[in-house]
Formats: sequence, C-alpha cells, structure tokens
Amino acid sequence: MQAPIPDNMPRSHLVISVLWPSFGTAIIATGLFFSAFHPRDLVPFDLDIDVSPIAAYSIGFFLFWLLGIVSSYGTLYFTISNARFVGNQEN
Amino acid sequence: MQAQKTGDGEQELYAAHQKIYPREVTGYFTRLRMLSVVVLLGIYYLTPLLRWDGRQALLFDLPARKFYIFGLTLWPQDFIYLAALLILAGLSLFFFTALVGRVWCGYACPQTVWTEAYLWMERKIEGKRSKRMKLDKAPNSAAKIRTKALKHTVWIIFSLWTGFTFVGYFTPIDQLAAKLFSASLGPWETFWILFYSFATYGNAGFMREQVCKYMCPYARFQSAMFDSDTLIVAYHPERGEPRGSRRRGTDLQKAGLGDCIDCNVCVQVCPTGIDIRDGLQYECIACSACIDACDEIMDKVSYPRGLIRYTTENSAQGKKQHILRPRVIVYAAILLILCGTLLTNLLLRVPLELDVIRDRNTLYRETREGLIENVYTLKILNMDSKPHQYTLTADGIDGMKLVTDEPEIVVPAGAVQELIVRLQADEFNMESRSVAVNFYLQANEANHLKTVEEARFVGPGKT
Repeated sequence: MQAPIPDNMPRSHLVISVLWPSFGTAIIATGLFFSAFHPRDLVPFDLDIDVSPIAAYSIGFFLFWLLGIVSSYGTLYFTISNARFVGNQEN
Repeated sequence: MQAQKTGDGEQELYAAHQKIYPREVTGYFTRLRMLSVVVLLGIYYLTPLLRWDGRQALLFDLPARKFYIFGLTLWPQDFIYLAALLILAGLSLFFFTALVGRVWCGYACPQTVWTEAYLWMERKIEGKRSKRMKLDKAPNSAAKIRTKALKHTVWIIFSLWTGFTFVGYFTPIDQLAAKLFSASLGPWETFWILFYSFATYGNAGFMREQVCKYMCPYARFQSAMFDSDTLIVAYHPERGEPRGSRRRGTDLQKAGLGDCIDCNVCVQVCPTGIDIRDGLQYECIACSACIDACDEIMDKVSYPRGLIRYTTENSAQGKKQHILRPRVIVYAAILLILCGTLLTNLLLRVPLELDVIRDRNTLYRETREGLIENVYTLKILNMDSKPHQYTLTADGIDGMKLVTDEPEIVVPAGAVQELIVRLQADEFNMESRSVAVNFYLQANEANHLKTVEEARFVGPGKT
C-alpha cells in the first residue's frame, strides 16, 4: 500500500496544510460567533476589563485559529502515524 | 516546484522548488487580462474612498457592529444576508466554471491579480526574463543589491498600501489615515495592517503559483464542474506534432513535422511553469499567456494562429459543442432563484425590530381598580438610517389597556431604546391563566416600518 503522505513531502507543505485550512475556518467561526455575541457580554464575573472591540475580535480570531490548528494537526498526526502503522504491518 | 517524471512512469510528487521566471507576453488575451487586473485593483483601492450619505460607502464597521453597503445598513441580526451573498458568490463560481472554465483563476483571482502587479514591478526594476535569471545567478555585487533593494522597497510600500486599504474596509479609512499620520494607530490596527501587508508581500512576491498549486481548494475541485463543453486552453497535438525545429520554408510533409516549432516560448511565459503541450493539467490557471505567445510565433513563421487556443474537449475532437446543457441550466436556475430570493428579502426587509421581555420578578399584580397588570421591557431597535417616532399598541384581551410613562417613543437612527410598559386587563375577560397578546409598533411617518411581537399575559387563573 502506498503511504498517503510521501516521505519527501517538504515540511513547509505540512505546516501549511495545518495552518491554512484552520485559518479559513477561524475566519468563518469568528464571523458566526461575534454575530451572535457582543464582546461586552463575554466578560466573566462582571470584571472591569476594558477591551476594545477590535482587540476582542482579534483575540477571538486567534483562539479559533488555535483551535483549528489543534484539529488540523490532529488529523495530520493520525494520518501519518496510521499510515506508518499500516505500512509496518504489511512489511 | 515542478512535477517530474521518473523512470517507472510514476510521478514524483515533490521535487525541489524551482523559481519560475514568466516571460513577458503581448497579445489580445494579455491585454484583456491586464485590463481586468487594473480594473480590479482600482476597485479594491478606491472603494473605501467612496462616500455615501456623509459616511464611507462600503464599511464593515466592526467596532460598531454595523455593515454599511451603500444605502443598506446590516446589523448582526442580518447575518443571513451576508451568508446568502457568500453562497451566491460560490454558486456564481460554479456557474462560470462550467461555462468558461477557469476564467476566475486567470483573470480575477486576487492571487493572480496581485501576482501580476508584483511581476510588473519586478519587470520594471529587474528587466526581462533573461535579465532577471542572470541577475539571480550573478554573485552579489553592489549593483545587484541595489536593484534587489529597490524592488523589495517598492513591493513593501505597495504591500503596506494594500494592508492599509484592507483595514480601511473595517474601520473608517479617513480616521485611519489621520491616525496613521499622527502616529497614533491602535496596536491591533497596526497589527492587521502589517499582517495583511506581509501576506500580500509573501503571496504575490514569493509564493505566487505555489498558492494555486498547493493551497487553493478550488484548483483541486474545479474538475468536478468541468465537462466536455467547458472552455479550456489547449494545444492542438494533431496539428502540432511531431514537433521540432526547422529551417524557414521547410516542406513539413517531407520533413514529417507538425506545426509546433518547439521554441518553448509557451513554457517560458507560463506563470505556473507547465508545458501546455502535455495536455490539460490542474496547475493550468487558464491565463492564456501561452495562446498569445504561440500566436505571435505562428505569425512570425507564417503558420496559421491557434495552435494553442481556447477550445472545448468536444470541439477539439470535432464533435458538436453545446453551450446550454443540463449542468449550466441547473447552476443558472439555482443562481437565479437564490438571487431573486435575496433581492426580494432585502427589498422587503423592515429595518425595525421589537423584543419583548416579561418582567421576571412578578408574574402579575393587581391594580387599585382591580385590574390584572403585567410589566414588560420592550427593546426597540431602529435599524434605519433615520430617526423615527413610533406608536405602540397592543391587543389580545378585550378592554386591555397599555400604560407607559414615556409620552412619545422616539428612537435615533441605528439605536436601541428600552421601554417599560404595563398591560392592564380585567380578569373577567381572560380566557385562561395565560393569554397570548400582541404588541404592534408602527413608525408614524413611514407606513412600511411596522412590526408585531407576541408575548404572554399572565393572571391568577379562573377559579
């Protein structure tokens, strides 16, 4: 069986394959999330935090991006490790 | 990065990336493409400068949570319109792909448009293809560093302008400019300007065709929208092969040659570095640079034009060509229905919203006159661009009275107003313990500005 990830695939492509889809997802998620919730309503325990909306949106975006990166990296990790596992069994 | 054939016929997927130096082209399609690039860049850089009703015409005002699209103001509640607009854009892409192939890639995709712009700057500074290749191979010298530094400076300035304009779509661009010149930009504004500038600089200056080949999802799935009647850029192998160089005036039949003189110009002009003569490839962005380049060569050697041309699989095989076919008709029908629905909804959209919240502390109370009273908090959202005065009424129970302390309800443009109202009704007229009542809100001078909201009126219940 041919491994789904060629060994000579450049590292930069692997990095982009994690960063790029999660970037797109983060844009959509940020849009959906902040259409439903106002950043002002998200401050917990009535804390007196003064965060500008742009800062809140930006931080939200990066949190979503991080979440997407975790997910994309998980997929990549399992794909590679499964491919190696299957490869080892066949050898 | 180029796909290279290995001995066993299997494709080696990853070979070291080779920088592509697209050769300059002239011709009909190139002019069309340049026109498209200039118009689209013009739209991008000038749109934020347009004014409408004393404000920026197109502004996705994130801090204020309002999207201004010329005469239209969208609120977070109107999110569905933006979603529909995005779906429309996606469907149009399907439709045009089925009809004319990857015309989006070659003429309108931001990646292509900015790459062309950066390539143009590169050519102006570093010179023609051969000069650029020579410059890159040459050892570092003062002249080389000067040329490279100039190119990157121009690129970076253009990138910064691009990033600034991008942020200008989300925060008023005149204020942004004022802040920029007084050096008082906020940290996040600065960050996003730099982020977008860096992305532009990287994508258009360095990544270029690699974005199309490795990052673009559309390039991977566009084949699903293709059929034998889709417009493609194709080489005519029956006419061109066997290819080979020849002297002027050689008898082709005697020499056993086709029309392709194997000059490789079609490969040199290709921005993705492929050879169109190998057939249809997913890397081809249908920019038609090879068509113009080949036509020019054909003119020079006095062969008929069109060895590489826009065609369809069917017409290339001499079959009948269909423009209207089920796929195109279905895409067009869905597109029209969606467009119609969106437009109707936008036209019928009432820029007024009423939220009714029942007082949570007391279910009901009795007034001195013995009437049952319920208290409500009303939130009136005037999404119009003008202030309005409203009349509030309610019904649902015979003889029900609406009492409020406010003499008149006036809500400024784009504002939310809270209003405490009390409904009073005779218990005798209530059919059950909890009765549905309706609040009607009507703008005084605008008939179409009205809305209705249901609420519950609670009493002690029949005994």
